[in-house]
Amino acid sequence: MEKVLFAVLTLVYLELSMRVVSAPICSYGQAGCHVPSLADLFERVIQQSSRMHSVSSDLHSDFEQYFFPRKNLIGKRKCHTYDILTPEDKENAQRLGREQLTEVIVRLLQAWGEPLSELYQSMSQDQNQDFNLYSSNKALEISDILHELKDGVTIITEKMKLLGVLSNTVGYNSPESLVPSSAFYTQGDLDSMDHHDLLYCFRRDSNKAKNYLRILKCTTLPEPDC
Amino acid sequence: MCQHQFYVAKPALKSSVTVCARMRRDLRGALLLLLTAAVQSSSMSAPGKPVLLSCRSPEKETFTCWWEPGSDGGLPTTHHLYYERERLEGTYECPDYLSAGRNSCFFDKNHTSIWVDYYLTVMASNALGNATSDPFKMDVMEIVKPDAPGNVTLRVEEREASPCLHVRWMPPSNTDTKSGWVTIKYELRVKKDNSNNWKEYTSGTQTHFSLYSVSPGGVYTVQVRCLLDHGSWSEWSNTTFVKISNYLQNERPLSMLISILSAILFIMAGLILIAKRKSVKQWVLPPVPGPKIRGINSQLLQSGGSDDVGNVLIIKQSFPPIYFVWEDQMEDYLIVTENEDWLSSNSQKRKKSLIPACFHFDSEIHSKESPCHQNDWEKDEEISQVDNNNKPFTNTGYVDFQRNVENVDVKHVDYSRVKEVKSDNIIFLEKEKVQSSGYIHFQRQEGIPEDYSRVKEVESDHLVVLQKQNAADLSCKDEGNHYTDCALHKPRKPHVCTELSDSGYVDTIPAPPLM
Repeated sequence: MEKVLFAVLTLVYLELSMRVVSAPICSYGQAGCHVPSLADLFERVIQQSSRMHSVSSDLHSDFEQYFFPRKNLIGKRKCHTYDILTPEDKENAQRLGREQLTEVIVRLLQAWGEPLSELYQSMSQDQNQDFNLYSSNKALEISDILHELKDGVTIITEKMKLLGVLSNTVGYNSPESLVPSSAFYTQGDLDSMDHHDLLYCFRRDSNKAKNYLRILKCTTLPEPDC
Repeated sequence: MCQHQFYVAKPALKSSVTVCARMRRDLRGALLLLLTAAVQSSSMSAPGKPVLLSCRSPEKETFTCWWEPGSDGGLPTTHHLYYERERLEGTYECPDYLSAGRNSCFFDKNHTSIWVDYYLTVMASNALGNATSDPFKMDVMEIVKPDAPGNVTLRVEEREASPCLHVRWMPPSNTDTKSGWVTIKYELRVKKDNSNNWKEYTSGTQTHFSLYSVSPGGVYTVQVRCLLDHGSWSEWSNTTFVKISNYLQNERPLSMLISILSAILFIMAGLILIAKRKSVKQWVLPPVPGPKIRGINSQLLQSGGSDDVGNVLIIKQSFPPIYFVWEDQMEDYLIVTENEDWLSSNSQKRKKSLIPACFHFDSEIHSKESPCHQNDWEKDEEISQVDNNNKPFTNTGYVDFQRNVENVDVKHVDYSRVKEVKSDNIIFLEKEKVQSSGYIHFQRQEGIPEDYSRVKEVESDHLVVLQKQNAADLSCKDEGNHYTDCALHKPRKPHVCTELSDSGYVDTIPAPPLM
C-alpha cells in the first residue's frame, strides 16, 4: 500500500516538475510559454550576426588565398546592396533613430536571402576542387544563419512594437521594391570572380548588420556598460 | 677686379694680370670639381617611389596610415597622400600629416567612414620630379587593431589551501564600449619566474580574471591584450609582476612527517594482512559447507589406507569413542537413525542436515524448497543415538548401516554396518574392512529394507557414487520416490535433490536446496 502511494506521489511530483521545466519558448506570450525578455532576444540575435560575419569573413579570406594569392587590386566592385543607404560611422548610426535603424537592418538582411542561396548552389555545383566542398558547406551555413537571423529580427521588432519602444511605422516593405537582388548577377552562371565579389560584399554587409544591431540594443536597453 | 687693377697701378700691371688669370682658372677648376662631385653622388634626382606600409584603426572611428619614403634624390622632398573613396567623388588630400608622426597621415572622425573602400596613394616630390606609390586599397573594417589594455593590477588573495591571483585591467581608453559600437574580448598570459612558458587564458569580455593555479614562492608576470570585433589582437600590455610569499614553508615538514607516518602504518597493515591472509580469507569467505556423513570423514576414507580406516572403524566392545576428523560445522551430514522415538524426542535439536539420499524420482525439483523438504524426508533433527533395536526409521532420508545387530551376518558385500550411533557424529561400524562403498539404505514407512542402492564410491565430502544395479530380487515399489533402483530401471531421468547423473553416481547437493 505504501509502495503504491509512493509511486503515485513520485509520478505526481515528476509531472509537476516537468511541467515547470519543459515549457516551450515562444515570443508572443501564448499561454503556457516561457517568454524570453528583449535583452535575451537581442543577445541571441547579436550572437547570430557575429557568427554569420565570422564565418563569411573566414570564407572570404580562404577564398582569396586559394584563388588570388597575389594581393592585387581587383578593381572597383559594386555590391548589389549599394543602393541601400546605410550609416557609415558611429555618429550617423546613432543619429538615425531606432525605427530607421531597424529598417536598414531588415532591408540588409532581406537583400541577401536569395543571393546566398544562389551562391551556395553555384559553389556546390562546381565539382572540380576540394575547396568547393568546404566552401559550399560554409555557404550553406551562412545561408541558414541568415534565415534564422531574419526571423529573429522580426521577432524583436514585434516585441519592441509591443513594448511601445518602436513605433508601428516600421513595416516590412516588399523586398522586391527595395532590393535589387540577384538581377545584378547573371542568372545561374556564377564564376569564381562572382563568388569572390559576393563574399566580399556579404562580409561587409554582415558586419554592418552586426554593428547596427548592437547600437539598436544599446539605445533600446539602457545599460551602463553595453 | 682684374681690370680695375690694370688702370690704377701701372707698375703692378704685369703682376695683377697674372693674378686675375690665375683666379679665373681656379674658379673654373672649382666649378668643374663641384660638378663632377655632384654628378658622382647622384643625389640630385627625382625622388624614389614611396611605399604605403599599413593603416590601422585603434577604435573603429579614426585611422592612421604610414608610408615609407623612397630615396629623396638629394633634394628636399615632400610627400603628399591622396585618396579616393567609394561613394565619394573626387580626390582628396590627407587631412592631418602631423598628429601621427613622420610619414603618416591621420584621418579623424569626420574623415573616416567605415565599410567603404579607400584608395590611397602617396606622392613624393622634389625639385627634380615626382614619384607616386602604388595604390593601396583598404576598408576601415579590416584594419582594426586596438591599443593594449591599460592599468593592469594584480592582487594576491591568500587562502589557506592555496593562494589565488586576481587580475584586473581597464579597456583601452579610446574605445567606446558604452554605445555598443565595439565589443572587446580579452586574453591574458601568465608566466612564473623566469621561464619562457606563457600560459594563456581567454577572458571573454570581462575586465577581470582570477588565477587559481598559482603556488607560493614565485614571481608571476601577467600581460593582457584585447581584440575588437573581428580585427587583430593588440599588443601585449606592460608586464606586471607580483611575488607570492612563501608562508606555507614552515608547515611543510610537519605535513611530510605525518604523511610518512601514515604511509608506514599502511605498509605495516598491508604486511600483516598478507601474513595472515589465510585466516583473513577464511573470515571473509567462509567455506561452503559440504555434506558430511556424520562421524565419517570421507577424506579419511579416500586418502587413508584401508587399514587405517579399518582400524578407525573397528568397534570395540566398550565402545570407546571413535573420533573421526569431522568438521563440526553447520554442514550437512547424513543422519543415521532407526529410532522413531528418538526422532520426536530430539526434535528441538535442529541442525541443518543434508538429505543426500533424497531421491525423488517422479517429481521434478523446480524450486529450492525441494519436495524432500515437504514430505517424508524432512530432516531437521540430528541423530544422537541409535539402539540396536533399530526400528525402521520413518520420514527420514538416512544412511542405514544396520537394521539389527542380530541380523548381522557379515555378508561379503561391500557395506558396513552401523552398530551404534553414539552421540552427535559418532557412528560405530562393525565391519573391519570397508571399501569405499557402502550402502545407502532408504527406509520407507514400513521399514522394509529392500529398498536400497549400492553406493559404489564415496568420492568426496559431498559425493556419493551409486552403482547401477540390476537388482532383480528387489521389487520396484511404486510408492513415493524412494527407490533408487527403480529409478535406474526406469528410463526416465530422475531429478533429485542430489543429482543423479547418467553415469549412475549421486552428486549430493549441500544444504540450501533442502532446508
